[in-house]
Amino acid sequence: MIFNWFKIFIYHLKQSKLFSFLNVLGLSIGISGVIFAILYWNNEHAYNQWNPEKENVYQVLNKIGITGDTWTTSSIPFGQTCAATIPEIEQICFVNDWYNESVIKYQNKKLIDKKITVTDNNFFDFYPFPIIKGAKKDILKEKNSAAISEEQAKLLFGEEDPIGKSITYNDKPYTIKAVYHIIRPSSVEPNYVFGGIIRENDANQWGNFNYGLMIKTKKGADIATVLKKMHNVNFVNRTLKDAKASGQTVEQYVKENGEIQIILDQLKTRYLYGTKSSGSASPEGTGNLKLLYIMAGLSLLILILSLVNYINLATASAIKRAKEVGVRKIVGASKKQIIAQFIFETAIIVTLAILFALAIVELSLPFYNAFLKKNLTINGAEFYLQLILIFGLVIILAGIFPAIYISNFETLKVLKGNFSRSKSGIWIRNSMLIFQFGIAAFFIIGALIVNSQVDYMMNKDLGFNGDQVIRIPFNYQDYKTKGQKYETTKQEILKIPGVQQVSTFAGTFGNGTNSSSGFTHNGVFVQPRNVDMDFGFLDMMKIKVVEGRDLSPKFASDTIDNWLINETLAKTLGLKNPINTVITSGWGNEKGNMKFKIVGIVKDFNITGLQNKVPQMVFLNMKALKWNNFQNVYAKVSPNNLTETLEKLKLYWEKNVNPDYPFDYEFVNKGFAKTYAEQVKQKNLFFILNLVVIVIAIFGLFALASFSMERRLKEIAIRKTLGAETDVLLKELSKQYIVFCLIGFGIGIVPAYILLQKWLEDFAFRIGISSVPFGIALISLLFLTLIIVLTKAFQVTKIDVLKYLKYE
Amino acid sequence: MITIQNLTKVFRTEEIETAALSGINLEIKKGDFLTIMGPSGCGKSTLLNIIGLLDSANDGSYKLLDQEMIGLKEKGRAKVRKENIGFIFQNFNLIDELSVYDNIELPLLYNNVKASERRQKIEAIAEKLNISHRLRHFPQQLSGGQQQRVAVARALVNDPKIILADEPTGNLDSKNGNEVMELLTDLHAKGATILMVTHSDYDASFSQRTIHMKDGVIFSEKLNQRNVDVFMDAK
Repeated sequence: MIFNWFKIFIYHLKQSKLFSFLNVLGLSIGISGVIFAILYWNNEHAYNQWNPEKENVYQVLNKIGITGDTWTTSSIPFGQTCAATIPEIEQICFVNDWYNESVIKYQNKKLIDKKITVTDNNFFDFYPFPIIKGAKKDILKEKNSAAISEEQAKLLFGEEDPIGKSITYNDKPYTIKAVYHIIRPSSVEPNYVFGGIIRENDANQWGNFNYGLMIKTKKGADIATVLKKMHNVNFVNRTLKDAKASGQTVEQYVKENGEIQIILDQLKTRYLYGTKSSGSASPEGTGNLKLLYIMAGLSLLILILSLVNYINLATASAIKRAKEVGVRKIVGASKKQIIAQFIFETAIIVTLAILFALAIVELSLPFYNAFLKKNLTINGAEFYLQLILIFGLVIILAGIFPAIYISNFETLKVLKGNFSRSKSGIWIRNSMLIFQFGIAAFFIIGALIVNSQVDYMMNKDLGFNGDQVIRIPFNYQDYKTKGQKYETTKQEILKIPGVQQVSTFAGTFGNGTNSSSGFTHNGVFVQPRNVDMDFGFLDMMKIKVVEGRDLSPKFASDTIDNWLINETLAKTLGLKNPINTVITSGWGNEKGNMKFKIVGIVKDFNITGLQNKVPQMVFLNMKALKWNNFQNVYAKVSPNNLTETLEKLKLYWEKNVNPDYPFDYEFVNKGFAKTYAEQVKQKNLFFILNLVVIVIAIFGLFALASFSMERRLKEIAIRKTLGAETDVLLKELSKQYIVFCLIGFGIGIVPAYILLQKWLEDFAFRIGISSVPFGIALISLLFLTLIIVLTKAFQVTKIDVLKYLKYE
Repeated sequence: MITIQNLTKVFRTEEIETAALSGINLEIKKGDFLTIMGPSGCGKSTLLNIIGLLDSANDGSYKLLDQEMIGLKEKGRAKVRKENIGFIFQNFNLIDELSVYDNIELPLLYNNVKASERRQKIEAIAEKLNISHRLRHFPQQLSGGQQQRVAVARALVNDPKIILADEPTGNLDSKNGNEVMELLTDLHAKGATILMVTHSDYDASFSQRTIHMKDGVIFSEKLNQRNVDVFMDAK
């Protein structure tokens, strides 16, 4: 029986090679979209799943009352008090939530490593990477102990046994105690793990939120109880004490200053579903749930589109199979057998489509990986299981409907030959066509809106001008002499021809500034970002001072107690005449809280990406606080002889600044562009998907128009005989498709408007949704429809009238 | 073998009711060769379709092998049909996409006949109908007469109890038409039960009995004399 079915299938495949190929191609594009989404989905959900402790380990986050910022860091005494007083907590571990980047030295070898984790001595109880060599327990317990990953050990030690060897990190010697194997993906995938994170003088500082904190609960502990108890630790040790110190009642203090809210994120779900926080949440970053949903949603839409296509074509071409089905029924086929036969055909096509899809995925995986910055591969039992599931699902969704439709053909009508003009199934085909138009409209509108937002972001006046300004990392460990070292460097590199201006500030364009300090003025609490800068910085970046003056070396007090604030801060503080207002800052010295006088108002500029509003900012000279927490030198260079200038800078850097680090630089504009790299990606994604959708939809429309017009050949012949002219016929034939197109568009704009509005909500600076993209989408959709339908209609009107009048 | 009593079929549209068959009584015995004749629209094809279980009646009784067929569900009808009835059509109704062999094989497939047995049966029937050399061809490569012989082979391959032929010569020239009629006569001589619908008096003369229908009723029935046989055999 199957052999018989197969013969018929092959016959039809050969008969309509192009349509069959396009049909398989359409399905395989839809399926490959879903495969891509699944690969991404699996990877994003795989993080930390290997970890046997994933259920018991929690990351501690603090939501700071007054600002609403969520920090991933905690203080040492808080963690230790919790560990000591809460019986449900088995142990705690302090760990940096970021990787340190530094030079590792072993004998004469020097390697720069970007994945260094500094942590507590029980790190391996939280991330139990398998130990390949060396101690299995208490690895980091002794002072100055370190562990190294398998790959890194090979790189640094070659064939030597790393255990017991001494390496230098941050000018301190460490002994390698163990070699471990990293299981990926994990929130932490360190090349080196160094113990001894706790600095002595932080041990009693409740206000120093410098340490990432993980807790491990005992089995069966109720996490809500733990959280309650942790809140209590914070309340007793911080809120109560602070309230007392300020001389307020607790209620009053909490009302004014808010209270820290502690959040616990389970390791199991933390990567993808963790609480959003300011600053990095884990060294390997967090999952991009939004992109994941966008990918999954769009790929499902495309799959549905291709399924609809398949169903439409299958039912439309079913007419060609009507006689065959009639005969089969006459000679004894039951309805079930007919259904089975057509599902069998769908199964073959879906199998082909899946093989095709796998080939497409395999070929384009490198681009996809580059797009996601991932390293996805096609493998894993889970993936193949999902593939089988897709196989089944696609067969059911694509196959059942046409099969039932075909099996319901009435034998008598079919064999009498007056079947080909029957109206059955038209209603469903037309609504599916409308649905396709809707999806196409959604994609076109979406792509246009995403495109114009990205355009807007790329061209917006940011309030600063980074043309020809480069950022050079300034690696200098000693904070006490860093300022002096910077001054010398500045003087020396200004001598290089081509270097026009040199300045610095503690931060980067795109990421923001390195510190933020709160203070209260006139009863208003603010938490502005600190712009700790060198003279000439605002001038070099073409940032305008709208009132008052810039800080200048001419005024001695500018390095002591004068500062600038930005427009946003002035507005928040409600200052009418801000110049010369004296503000008590949050910083103290031996004389109490330091006071600063406002000498100028800086025009708002975007220091972070356009997702965020312009933050409140204070600007002060780097000598005022002497924190020296700047990490880069900014230099404006002439575009002429740039290569030569950079070469000279490189020479100077390697000789005088830090010989351990290679010279590196980045144009400020390029650095800022990273803030919308994600959106550029989404734009490109939308663009590619748009092409795919339009190709599938156009093909579907063409095929459907062909089938339905060919069924009207007799009607056209009669009309022609009666004297209809070509243009009247064309109008008659294409009229309905224009109506479908309009209805489909009407259906598509609603979700397009709602979803894109939601997408735009992420941006503090965004375009409004105008009618332009809708207009363009409508016109292009109509245009495409007309081209396809008219082409086919024109071809149909050229038929030989006699042939069709004689027929039947 | 077939007993029909008071069979009625009414076609209803929104405005009018048309009685296609009104009170038909008919009996067909095993080994009969019966022809139904009549003008277009007299109801003869409807009667054939009801007997062939492709259509259903509104009223009356239709017994096939002493089993009541009226009121039987589609599934049951399909079963009776595939086991008992062989069809021959005016337009052959062969599946163009399948070879002659595959076309003849279809009823056997749907009757779950074993593969080895299928081959035997197909080869035997092809031999009988003189189309053995055509088994690998496709219907479009054959002449009309050959196509109809394939259709007859397909109708016979499963040894049906009765053969229903709907104007079997309607699409054939007289030479090919004669061949097919001789084939049917031959089958009848070997004991097959045949019910045929035709417009042609000539074709009808091959059968034992002819029924004339008009406006949904049987108005005459006569026994045929095979007095043309001699002439035809001389051909």
